[in-house]
Amino acid sequence: MTRVWLRWLPAALVPVALAAAALAGSYQAGAATSLPHKTAEEVIAMIGRADVHALSGTLQQSSELGLPQLPSVGPTATQGPASVIELLSGSHTTRVYMNGPAQARFQVMDMLAERDLVRNGNDLWLYNSADNSAAHMTMPAEPARAPAPRATPTPGVITPDVVAQHFLAAVGPTTDVTVGDGTTVAGRTAYQLVIKPRSTGTLVDSVTIAVDSASGLPLGVDVRARGQAAAAFSLAFTDLSLTTPDAALFSFTPPRGAAVEEKATPQLRALPGKTGQGPQAKATASRPTITGSGWDAVISLSTGTVPTDVRSAPLLAQLTQPVPGGRALTTSLVTVLMLDDGRVFAGMVPLERLQAAAAAQ
Amino acid sequence: MDAAPGPPGVSPASALPSSSWSLMASELSVLFRRLRTWAMLLALAAIPILIAAAVKLSSHPVAPGRGPPFLDRITQNGLFVGVTAMVVSVPLFLPLTVGVVAGDTIAGEANLGTLRYLLVAPAGRVRLLLIKYAAAAAFCLAATLTVAAAGALAGVALFPVGPVILLSGDTIGVGESAVRSLLIAAYIAVSLLGLSAIGLAISTFTDVPVGAMAATIVLSVVSQVADNLPQLEWLHPWLFSHYWLGFADLLRQPISWTSFSDNALLQAGYIVAAGALAYGKFTSKDVLS
Repeated sequence: MTRVWLRWLPAALVPVALAAAALAGSYQAGAATSLPHKTAEEVIAMIGRADVHALSGTLQQSSELGLPQLPSVGPTATQGPASVIELLSGSHTTRVYMNGPAQARFQVMDMLAERDLVRNGNDLWLYNSADNSAAHMTMPAEPARAPAPRATPTPGVITPDVVAQHFLAAVGPTTDVTVGDGTTVAGRTAYQLVIKPRSTGTLVDSVTIAVDSASGLPLGVDVRARGQAAAAFSLAFTDLSLTTPDAALFSFTPPRGAAVEEKATPQLRALPGKTGQGPQAKATASRPTITGSGWDAVISLSTGTVPTDVRSAPLLAQLTQPVPGGRALTTSLVTVLMLDDGRVFAGMVPLERLQAAAAAQ
Repeated sequence: MDAAPGPPGVSPASALPSSSWSLMASELSVLFRRLRTWAMLLALAAIPILIAAAVKLSSHPVAPGRGPPFLDRITQNGLFVGVTAMVVSVPLFLPLTVGVVAGDTIAGEANLGTLRYLLVAPAGRVRLLLIKYAAAAAFCLAATLTVAAAGALAGVALFPVGPVILLSGDTIGVGESAVRSLLIAAYIAVSLLGLSAIGLAISTFTDVPVGAMAATIVLSVVSQVADNLPQLEWLHPWLFSHYWLGFADLLRQPISWTSFSDNALLQAGYIVAAGALAYGKFTSKDVLS
């Protein structure tokens, strides 16, 4: 019997060894790396000079916006206005393929389903495997000019690059920009650019952009909200290859039996609710007014901009809470105030500031 | 550790003479000549046949998004019968049959009083464990292949067969879709290996096979329930059932191998951990029956 404990030893040691191996693996993924020192200006200039024409990779997105949990299964989960909110909340794995400015494929990998966005030149296809439906759009022909330095954003495609450009546009005198420790994202060494708003009027605590040390491509973006430990929004590559993807990926023909819908010019926005300094601000017919500048800017939409059926959607009633004079959607990062008279105010600010802006008009 | 002198009957597992293969062959023939094994395989084969017949006989076309995933595709393409049957059988029916086989491995022999005869022969306890586990793994493969084959046959018999639409919206030919079906069967067989190892470990702790079977099946249900609770999100990647439905990644274009490798790694972890537990119990156990 003296040796019996020896026979139990593997049973005790194996789980410990497995846990240690798993932990070591996850530590290694985010391990600090030493990189040649660069100032914040140099890192921002690197992003500007980034010369990545083709890539294929996998993106991991997760949000902790403090929204109620939406049903992630069932027929209604990925249709209608819910799909946008569902994309912004919860976590998603997406495969991205890009080749040049005009070819892109974006695959949101849902459980037992997939949503695809394929852009080939001016053709834009959306496909949803859950209901086997496809939509086709023709993008407006771009004026002939020198090729863009990087892939022009395809509507609806959210990559760390697109999100980073949004936040870099907000960098100004109201912002502190520093360079943090080097890190590793998707197996590539990266600089961490930390953007911290000086203003205390915004919900954003800080934005961290991981910038590939070799190419200058943003590899990941973490947005932290005030008073919340977990990142409110995080989007990063889990694997990335800067080689040209297979050309067959970009030629899409809707499958037999799919319901195909021809749609007008896309009105999709990359990121609803962000400060309207991106190129999409001019896309809307009724121009939104922007009060204030920088991080605590408030966007206001006049009466009639937001259709009534969107305002009265049951999902919205579920997500919003009544406030004097209307309803409000409050998340840890973005607040939207919908007044009964049809005006809508939004911004990365607390609700009180939106109400003040509404009262001032 | 195998070199340590132990109780009689424990011999190094590294020596694999031809008697191991004959023991393996006899173990497999015992397993697959059992009435119970055939009854379970027939029940599994009935799932795709039932699905195909129900869809064929129903007068209403299946609306997209209703019922189990891929159900609406069956009328257009019979090759989806197998995939739909996989989705339906992964959460309960396959773990049920695997639990019965794995839970029976050691406890069944102990209950019949045949375990000591197996150990009287210079088989060695470690080798007996390995052979029992290999037989349970063979059943995992047989069970998933049964569902896939019955699904393919029922689909071909009742519905038109043609190019298959993948989740990404791309279309592939019949030949490639057969390869993908086999890959899915392999994925699910791998998915069940962890559960088999757990069943084997539980089986060494009792002489009552029904108890080991029930415990294994209950664990598979508990794991799936925990996987659906958002409050336990930190635990999800560690649950052996976490990647069970990830075989859909094989229906994307290009194939995403991430979940396949993650799943294989996770199952390997469970095999090693449960195997160590089974080793600890079985080699230190007093075999009286």
